[in-house]
Amino acid sequence: MAAPGEYFSVGSQVSCRTCQEQRLQGEVVAFDYPSKMLALKCPSSSGKPNHADILLVNLQYVSEVEIINDRTETPPPLASLNVSKLANKARTEKEEKMSQAYAISAGVSLEGQQLFQTIHKTIKDCKWQEKNIVVMEEVVIAPPYQVENCKGKEGSALSHVRKIVEKHFRDVESQKVMQRSQAQQTQKETSLSS
Amino acid sequence: MSLKQAAAAAQAAGNNRKPPGGGGGPGLPSAAGGGRQNMGRGRSSGKGPPQPTISFDGIYANMRMVHILTSVVGSKCEVQVKNGGIYEGVFKTYSPKCDLVLDAAHRKTAESSLGPKREDILESILFKPSDFVMVHFKDMDTNYARRVPSETDAFTDSAISAKVNGEHKEKDLEPWDGGETTATEELEALETDVSNGWDPNDMFRYNEENYGVVSTYDSSLSSYTVPLERDNSEEFLKREARATQLAEEIESSAQYKARVALENDERTEEEKYTAVQRNANEREGHGVNTRENKYIPPGQRNRDVLSWGSGRQNAPRMGQSGSGPPISRSGSHASEFSPNSGADQRVVNGGVPWPSPCPSPSSRPPSRYQSGPNSLPPRAATPTRPPSRPPSRPSRPPSHPSAHGSPAPVSTMPKRMSSEGPPRMSPKAQRHPRGHRVSTGRGTISSGLEFVSHNAPGEASTTAVARGSPSGGTWSSVVSGVPRLSPKTHRPRSPRQSSTPTGPALPSPQPGTIPTESVAMPVPAASPTPASPASNRAVTPSSEAKDTRLQDQRQNSATGNKENIKPSETSPSFPKPENKGVSPIVSEHRKQIDDLKKFKNDFRLQSSSSSDAVDQLLNKTREGEKSRDVVKEKTESTPKESIIETGSNTNSNGGSSKPNSPSISPSISNSSEQKRGPEVTSQGVQTSGPGSKQDKEDKEEKKDTSEQVRKSTLNPNAKEFNPRSFAQPKPSTTPTSPRPQAQPSPSMVGHQQPTPVYTQPVCFAPNMMYPVPVSPGVQPLYPIPMTPMPVNQAKTYRAGKVPNMPQQRQDQHHQSTMMHPASAAGPPIVATPPAYSTQYVAYSPQQFPNQPLVQHVPHYQSQHPHVYSPVIQGNARMMAPPTHAQPGLVSSSATQYGAHEQTHAMYACPKIPYSKETGPSFYFAISTGSLAQQYAHPNATLHPHPPHPQPSATPTGQQQSQHAGSHPAPSPVQHHQHQAAQALHLANPQQQSAIYHAGLAPTPPSMTPGSNTQSPQNSFPTAQQTVFTIHPSHVQPAYTNPPHMAHVPQAHVQSGMVPSHPTAHAPMMLMTTQPPGGPQAAIAQSALQPIPVSTTTHFPYMTHPSVQAHHQQQL
Repeated sequence: MAAPGEYFSVGSQVSCRTCQEQRLQGEVVAFDYPSKMLALKCPSSSGKPNHADILLVNLQYVSEVEIINDRTETPPPLASLNVSKLANKARTEKEEKMSQAYAISAGVSLEGQQLFQTIHKTIKDCKWQEKNIVVMEEVVIAPPYQVENCKGKEGSALSHVRKIVEKHFRDVESQKVMQRSQAQQTQKETSLSS
Repeated sequence: MSLKQAAAAAQAAGNNRKPPGGGGGPGLPSAAGGGRQNMGRGRSSGKGPPQPTISFDGIYANMRMVHILTSVVGSKCEVQVKNGGIYEGVFKTYSPKCDLVLDAAHRKTAESSLGPKREDILESILFKPSDFVMVHFKDMDTNYARRVPSETDAFTDSAISAKVNGEHKEKDLEPWDGGETTATEELEALETDVSNGWDPNDMFRYNEENYGVVSTYDSSLSSYTVPLERDNSEEFLKREARATQLAEEIESSAQYKARVALENDERTEEEKYTAVQRNANEREGHGVNTRENKYIPPGQRNRDVLSWGSGRQNAPRMGQSGSGPPISRSGSHASEFSPNSGADQRVVNGGVPWPSPCPSPSSRPPSRYQSGPNSLPPRAATPTRPPSRPPSRPSRPPSHPSAHGSPAPVSTMPKRMSSEGPPRMSPKAQRHPRGHRVSTGRGTISSGLEFVSHNAPGEASTTAVARGSPSGGTWSSVVSGVPRLSPKTHRPRSPRQSSTPTGPALPSPQPGTIPTESVAMPVPAASPTPASPASNRAVTPSSEAKDTRLQDQRQNSATGNKENIKPSETSPSFPKPENKGVSPIVSEHRKQIDDLKKFKNDFRLQSSSSSDAVDQLLNKTREGEKSRDVVKEKTESTPKESIIETGSNTNSNGGSSKPNSPSISPSISNSSEQKRGPEVTSQGVQTSGPGSKQDKEDKEEKKDTSEQVRKSTLNPNAKEFNPRSFAQPKPSTTPTSPRPQAQPSPSMVGHQQPTPVYTQPVCFAPNMMYPVPVSPGVQPLYPIPMTPMPVNQAKTYRAGKVPNMPQQRQDQHHQSTMMHPASAAGPPIVATPPAYSTQYVAYSPQQFPNQPLVQHVPHYQSQHPHVYSPVIQGNARMMAPPTHAQPGLVSSSATQYGAHEQTHAMYACPKIPYSKETGPSFYFAISTGSLAQQYAHPNATLHPHPPHPQPSATPTGQQQSQHAGSHPAPSPVQHHQHQAAQALHLANPQQQSAIYHAGLAPTPPSMTPGSNTQSPQNSFPTAQQTVFTIHPSHVQPAYTNPPHMAHVPQAHVQSGMVPSHPTAHAPMMLMTTQPPGGPQAAIAQSALQPIPVSTTTHFPYMTHPSVQAHHQQQL
């Protein structure tokens, strides 16, 4: 049970409904009574293991708060946080978003943006130049961003970028196939079920 | 430590302390207490991890909320606002109010699947908590920001399996099996492989064999340099010489050496920059204080104390302690004051004070005597007292014996013992003491330290070392030979005395019970006793004893004179004590002896000096006043009881005085002081005696410094002292000062007296006046050290005390408590406090019943003695700057005096408060006083200086006188404390004195025990045992509270502990002082004696005992 003065004990499962009629459920990570803030940890929406979605819920706009199950055991101690790491992450995240926004504002296609994201994962030194992706100041990828669009001085850099681009599109293609197959399966299932 | 030390100091110092307690008792205690408290505070503040003052509000106060929100900083999140809109951005930060800041945020729209355009993004958005419904952080790696505490955490199974190159699936871990034998062998091979990797030649060979690569490596490095071609050409030789010269220049340069040293410095960074430097030398300077402040296991304390004593004043003190306060005083004084002949004299005076612990009483007595004659009224009480005393003696003597006896018979024993004890006897004899002394004297070693010194030395310890010179001889013998014995005896006696007073109620009780009445008595007695003790002590013990005997009650003045004369005798004896002391402690003893010799010389001077006689006369007058007071008190309280009590007090005082005298004789002019002590005690009984003794002490001190000064100071001091005593008494009296004084009288009285002195001014101006006379005498001594300051302080104290009495008390209480812990450092402390409390309780009733005022008076007196003793001690320690510092700390308000007084007051306050609160309070005060003394001791150095100054100051004059008286006791205490607290005592003469007084009063019992214990340590089992036994009995009787008993025993134990080491003596003293609660009587002995004088006999006894004890201890 929650300790006296507390409404939610850390670790207990809570569900609630927001004023937008959104159903929320998660494990209580923290609760601050004065500010009516409830922090929940939910399974990652993308299904990644070791990842979770963190929800900060303002209970002032929430109804139907229910404690599904209560946890009595004391929560684990809090680990110290590497604040500098977090600060760096915040800065890089912001830069990425701004960079992405720049590209989007330039009218880059979705494929181009996706490719840029993929390359950026491997090679940080890449940027938008108009609609072209400039990697390491050596390789320029122009729309439609195919392998053959990679131009630059022949060398390891160009070959490396080409490998990345090639793989990127291969993965994208495979994903499409999978999605398609999944869709087909679902269709079949639906048809079968129906 | 502090507590134990305090306790030890209390016991040991008990004698000494009592005196301080009496005169400066309040001040000293306060000072000491303050010092300690300050110390404690400083420590606490220093030690206490600076608590983060940052207060978190809002969600910042919610640790888990902060943690979770911080862990998601830098992550993309979606904020859903009230209207359903969703904003996406990078979570930047949050406020205590839960305002959220998103960087690069944009409003998410259904169309913006591609992502926000540059123009849609806002640098940052702040969301009020009232604006958003929910914040969604997607795919958070909860361990992302987790700081890896150590490598180990990165290699736990979970850590290894959790992250493997971005593969986010559990990795099956396989247990490693390196094989049982091979693994270990290989691992061991690796462990034992000393080679640093491959040998170059092996690498070359390997490459050549496997890859056909041939190395071109040339060991001559011909590619990089050319070989030096040596020849005998003139050019080469010249260059070579030049190179050598340059090399030498470079290598000889400081810079080069410094840099090389850096490289070659084998010290670790820790050693060089981080480690705390611990130098024994440093400790000596501050060690006492620090150590005392620090908790040190009892055993260690003793060691420390011993070491301290040895380190600082130990040798001197040791000798003194061993021989008695005198030695220590002498030692300390000599060491510190020795530089100045005046100082020496002062020292002597101070030393006398030490003796005073015993002397203090005596000193007080003298003052009282002087005043007594003049102001016989209070002490005149003595006259009355005498009557009362006689009755009391008869009735109480028994009790006293029992009380004193604890060591021997309780009250009577001690007293008688003391009385019997040549010196001691005299003090006691003079008043109660006489009988007591005589009876107890022998019986006791126990009876008073004084007695002890005399008797004990001669008889009990018999150590006889010294009986050699009759009184002096005995004393000296006691002191030197028996130093410890005498101390022991003293302690025992003191305890006894204290106990007698308190326990049996005989001495202390009388003071206490009679307190009001007796209180007055006590005060007078105390002051007288202090003086008388001091004087007696100062005077030849034997002479004192004789005087005491002859004068028994009133002859005090005469005795005082005699005592004064005796002092010379005593002085001779001193040497003996020293010798004795040497024998016991050997090297330490030798040192002590040396100190004692010095003291002897000083004492001789003092004794020889007419000033002593004058002081004694003054004391007598004072005593007379005291006696008057006593009478009053008696009248107030049941006359008989009061009388008895007074008688007992006187006895106790006598005992204390005796102890003091013994102690004095042992230590500095222990013999002389002891002698004085006896006289004082006797006088103390009569008050006049004490006063005279005090005066004598003062005189002695003054003599040391200058007779004239003494005289002059006497008057001023007397007044001042009186005020103090009054002031303190009032506070104390109101509570239970009477009883405490009476019972505690030994110790308590001393303490209270000091306080009384302060308060008394109001209550007992006469007493105060008387005390003043004493003080003047003392003052001279003090003045020399720090006359101005003392005076001021004294005044301040007085003023402050009277009004502030409560505060002071509180302070003292605090200090006392502080002290207790510190002193208790060990069991003693704890035990003692209870004992005190109990004692206090017991006493309180009596005191209350009797008359607060009276009690106050006793307190004052006692305090005065204490003051004196403290002063004396202070002188000893005064030498050390610390005392001043302490004063500053303590009083800070008052000048040095104030400080001292405050300290005393503090101590006294504790005592007083206790006493006020209840009889027990006195004990506490005493005990605290002792503690304070102990504390003071550490600080003692400081105190001593201030005290002396104070004493020197007219106001302090009384205090000084008290101090002197107390010094005797204090001296013991100092001796004990010396090692530990003496410095404090000295530092805060008054305070110390108060402490001493308190301590003395308490100490008396404890002191005696302590002395006993010490003596045992010295190898005077019997003495100790007797003392112990006496203490218990005494304590119980007097206090009737087992706790007291316990305290006493503890005190004894502590003292015993202390005794073992020279320094230990100081602790012992402290211990004694603490025990004082019960021991207070013991303390009283030393302090009490002074106090006793004022209070009555008790104090004298107390003082004497204490003094003796101290002396012995010191020895």
